[in-house]
Amino acid sequence: MNTYYAANLLIFAGVDIIACLALNLQFGVSGIVNFSFIIFQAAGAYAAAILSMPPDSAPDYSFQIYFGGYQLPFPIPWIGGAIAGGLLALPVGLVVLRRLRADYQAIALLVTSIIANTVINNARPLLNGAAGLALVPQPLQDQVDTNTHAYQYLYIGLTAICVAIIWFISARIVNSPYGRSLRAMRDNELAATALGKNPSALKMTMFIVGGAIAGLSGAILVGFLQVWAPSTWLYPETIILFAAVIVGGRGNNVGAILGALLVPVGFEEVTRLLTRMNVGPPQLIPALEWICIGLFILGFLWFRPRGVAPEPRHVFPGAPVTEDTHWVEGAHAS
Amino acid sequence: MPLSEPMLTARDVHRHFEGLHAVDGVSIEVMPGRITGLIGPNGAGKSTLMAVLAGTLPASSGTVIFQGEDITRMPAYQRARRGLVRTFQLPSEFAQLTVLENLMVAAPDNRGESLLGALLGKRYWMPDEERLVAQARGLLKRFGMSAKESDYAGTLSGGQKRLVEIMRALMLRPRLLLLDEPMSGVHPSIVDEIAGYLETLRDEGMTILMVEHELHMVDRLCDPVVVMAQGKVIGQGGMAALRKQPEIVEAYLVG
Repeated sequence: MNTYYAANLLIFAGVDIIACLALNLQFGVSGIVNFSFIIFQAAGAYAAAILSMPPDSAPDYSFQIYFGGYQLPFPIPWIGGAIAGGLLALPVGLVVLRRLRADYQAIALLVTSIIANTVINNARPLLNGAAGLALVPQPLQDQVDTNTHAYQYLYIGLTAICVAIIWFISARIVNSPYGRSLRAMRDNELAATALGKNPSALKMTMFIVGGAIAGLSGAILVGFLQVWAPSTWLYPETIILFAAVIVGGRGNNVGAILGALLVPVGFEEVTRLLTRMNVGPPQLIPALEWICIGLFILGFLWFRPRGVAPEPRHVFPGAPVTEDTHWVEGAHAS
Repeated sequence: MPLSEPMLTARDVHRHFEGLHAVDGVSIEVMPGRITGLIGPNGAGKSTLMAVLAGTLPASSGTVIFQGEDITRMPAYQRARRGLVRTFQLPSEFAQLTVLENLMVAAPDNRGESLLGALLGKRYWMPDEERLVAQARGLLKRFGMSAKESDYAGTLSGGQKRLVEIMRALMLRPRLLLLDEPMSGVHPSIVDEIAGYLETLRDEGMTILMVEHELHMVDRLCDPVVVMAQGKVIGQGGMAALRKQPEIVEAYLVG
C-alpha cells in the first residue's frame, strides 16, 4: 500500500466521519430528515475553492468561469467553507423547517438538493457549470512542496485535527441537557412544545450547526481533490451518508463514526478493488454497490434498527440498579 | 392578587375547522386553587378548547387571558414557560428517553439547555443538573416510580406513562395545569392513586383544569364543573346543582 493510497483512504475517512457526525446531529439526534445534506458539503467546497483560487482572469485559470477568486491563505478557505455551509442553512431552514410537517420537510429538502445541483450544473458563469472547478490550490501550497510524503501526512494531520474538533463539539451537544431536549423533540415534538421547548429554534440551530460542519467537510475534501463539480454532489451521496448513520447507530456519535467507516469508506474501497479485478461488465460493480447500499439500509431497519452501536441509555449517577432493558423497536405501542 | 381573581379567563373563544365550529363562543373562568372540571359528550369541543388554551391550536377568534396577560397570540412553548402547562389525551412520553430524562427535559432554568451552555461543558451546567435531578427524584418517589427511573418511558404501562406525563408537567412548576383525561386507559387501581395525587396538589394550592369522563371522579375532584356540548358551554357550577338541570343531563346522556 503506497502512501498516496493510504492518505487518500484516511482523508476520505476523515471527511466522511465529519459529515456523518453532522448528519447524526441533525437526523439521529434531532430527527430532521435532511435529504439535502450534500448541498451543504458542496457549499463548503465551492466556498473554499473560490476563496483560495485566483480570479478566473489569471493565466492558468482562464479556461474556467467563476465569481470570486480571492487567493486567501489557509486556514481561511476552510473556515469560509464552514461559514458558507452555515449560511446556506439559514434560507433553506427558514423556508422548509418552520411550517412543514416532518415528512414533507424531507421531500422539500430532497427537491432542494436536486434544484441546487441542476442550477449550478447549468448556470456556467456562476461556478463553471457541469465542468466544475479545477486546479483548486491545496492548503499551504505556497509554503511547502505538496508533492511529498510529508505533505500527505500534513494533510492527514489537518483532517484529524478537524475530526477531533467536530467530535468534541458533537459530544458536548449530545451529552448535554440541550442534546436531551433535541432527543425529546425527535421523540414527540408536540409534547416538547407543551413543555416550553421551541422546536423551530432547536431545529434551525441544528440545521445551521450541521450545515457548517458539512461545509467544513467539503472544504477539506476540495483542498485534497483539487476539483469540484456538480457530479460529485448528486443527491444519492446524501443517501450513502444516511445509510452510514442508520447502520452505525442513530443518535450515537460512536455509531456515526462506525457507520462512516463501514458504508462510505468500506463500500468505496470494496468497489474500487472489485472494479480493478475486472469482475463482469464495467458498470456492474458500481451498480451492485447501489443495490448493496439499499439492501444494507433495509436489512438494518428490519433486523437491527438501532444500528451497530445504538444510542446509549442515559443512567444518572446514583440511580437504583435495574435490569438492563434494551429498547426494542416496534415492541412498544406508543 | 386577590383570591377571587381568575387564573385564566377565556372570552368568546371560537375555533373553526373548515366550517366546523368545534369551539363556538366559549367563555370560562378558572379560579385559583381549585380543580375545575370540563365535561361533555364526545365531540363537544373539550379537547379543542384545551388545545386553544394551551396554544397548541390557535384560536379563530376570542381572547385568552392568563394571570392578567393576554396570551391569545402567544405560541405554546412561551405559555408553558409562563406556567400554563398541558398534558395530552393520548400518551405522549418521550419513548426513547428514560423516565428520569423525561422529567429532566421539562425542568426549567438549566444552564445546559442552550447550545452555548452545552458547548461550555459539564462543569458549567452540572450544578443545575444535580439540583434538578434531586427535584425529579423527589417527584418520582412521591409518585412511587423511583424503581423505574432508568427505564425507557416507551416500555412503561399506560398508567405509568400517565404518571410520567403528570410528573413531567409538575417539573415545570406550573401555575395552571391543563389535564386532558388523565385517567383514560388507566387501570382502576392507578386511577384512585392519580386522584389522590391531584387532591394533594390542589390542597397545596395548584390550579387545575381537567377534562374527565368518569362522573364519579368528577364528583370527587372537581368544583366547579363546566359542561360543554356542540362547542358551547351549556352550564357550569357545582356537580349537585348541574345534575338537577334536565337539559344538561339530556345533553350529556343523549348527545
